[in-house]
Amino acid sequence: MFVRSMHKCCRVCLKSSTRSNAFSYFIKRQLNTKTARKLTNEEARHKRNEIFNEERARQLAFITRIEKIQVEHKGPPEDCTLIMNKGLSTPFNCAMHIGELLMNRSVLALVNGKPWDMHRPLIEDCELQFLHMKDENPFLSNQAFWRSCSFILGYVLETAFKNDYYVELCSFPVPNVTSGSFVYDADLKLQDWSPSAMELNCLSRVGQSLRFSDFRFERLDIDASVALKMFEENRFKSEQIPQIAGKSETGSSVTVYRMGDHIDITRGPLMGSTGMLSRFSVTAVHRIESPLYGPLSRVQGIAIPMSLKLHYWTYEFLMKRATKLNPAPIPTAFQAKPINETVNKKGKENDN
Amino acid sequence: MNMFRFPVRNTPRKFKKSFGVGSGPAERIKKLQMLVTALIRNERLEAKESYCLETRGYVEQLIQIAIRNGDRHAETMEKADFWLLEKDLVHKLFKVLVPRYQNYSTACTDFHFLPKKVPGSGVQMGILELKGNPWPPVVPRQRDQGHLLTNVLLSSAKAEYRMEKKITPDLRNGDHDKLEQAANT
Repeated sequence: MFVRSMHKCCRVCLKSSTRSNAFSYFIKRQLNTKTARKLTNEEARHKRNEIFNEERARQLAFITRIEKIQVEHKGPPEDCTLIMNKGLSTPFNCAMHIGELLMNRSVLALVNGKPWDMHRPLIEDCELQFLHMKDENPFLSNQAFWRSCSFILGYVLETAFKNDYYVELCSFPVPNVTSGSFVYDADLKLQDWSPSAMELNCLSRVGQSLRFSDFRFERLDIDASVALKMFEENRFKSEQIPQIAGKSETGSSVTVYRMGDHIDITRGPLMGSTGMLSRFSVTAVHRIESPLYGPLSRVQGIAIPMSLKLHYWTYEFLMKRATKLNPAPIPTAFQAKPINETVNKKGKENDN
Repeated sequence: MNMFRFPVRNTPRKFKKSFGVGSGPAERIKKLQMLVTALIRNERLEAKESYCLETRGYVEQLIQIAIRNGDRHAETMEKADFWLLEKDLVHKLFKVLVPRYQNYSTACTDFHFLPKKVPGSGVQMGILELKGNPWPPVVPRQRDQGHLLTNVLLSSAKAEYRMEKKITPDLRNGDHDKLEQAANT
């Protein structure tokens, strides 16, 4: 079992690999290009990034003249008014003007009372507040953190395995902290795989290392056609995109987020950067049966933010609880087009 | 009859050296009058614990009588005149304090212990105050930490554990042992 595990987790293999291992990998790729070319997660990620960059450059090109907006900051260290650039400046830029404390601890911003990502440009005159994990009522921050952790779990699943395994991410449910774990439903293409403690540890380390890379979460609203092109290799996402776009305000826009080189669809908002992660553990992989997508893997995990301290005994106790199957709804939300009411109800069940 | 709304000791506390050693009961009453007057005037005072707690009863009684009988009652006026050395405070008692405490179901004074000074004489000092005073609060407001992410995780884990074990803990009846037993099995 141990040997098998070492072959599955790419990160561990590469780090502990000898030259012969790398060489065999090279040969395999050569063979693949000569014979039937196999789709890999790495290629799909590369393609998505290119489209993302292109789209962002296109959207930025619309801003030809810099206009100023007035941002009124409320809260500690003091209330103040800032003059920022419309469509360019983000709440994080405002925090840079006000103080380092706000830059480091802010998970979310409240713009005119609405939750707003730290790295999403401001578009109008507004009132700004910053939220953090130790607020009086940190509900919004908790939700954003838990959602971000699901997002990161998607990154872990896509990057941790060798290229032989093409992992297709499906979706993740609305964050629910009281359930004790965050979830990502995906097709791992691994039949009858029950991961050992060591394999789970390897997966956890991929997520845990993100704390040091300190990736920002960048938001981009794109057209459904662009999103379809971006996710054409993923059969789940390409099915979901028209439904998500239909529910959006304009009727054809999809919100995607990028963290490092990982891109995924989610409504957001997400936390500022991965530097806020303290401990991150992948705790269990359950097999679930979706009536629409067939057999899927429900991957669960648990994490705590940097600003909250927890004893290791307590954390392990919570980890034990997080191994139980999360009762979140199984992804069936995009099955058909029923009456509007039911669409709205089901839409609440799935977050992306 | 007066019903004190705070714990009362049966025996009076001794006022050592209130006005010199052996000054007697007359001086004790004089000291109490001064403390009652000071409390009604300033709404908060800092003194020895024993002084504060003895004063507390007289102030509570005075305010309760004033609320019950009003300012047209001869005995009440006599009592107010006795305890309040500065006579303008009689008006404050009936015009300000009576309306403030009319609907209170709790005591109208608060007592807080102060830390002992080290090095020092080791005397226990305290703060006596009237409720609803305009001063900043003695005890700062405690933040509710129950909504922090880690605490939400822990409380939900606890609730789930109890659901599974079907434990309905009643901590007053000493159910700690039962909880421990359940955890061990």
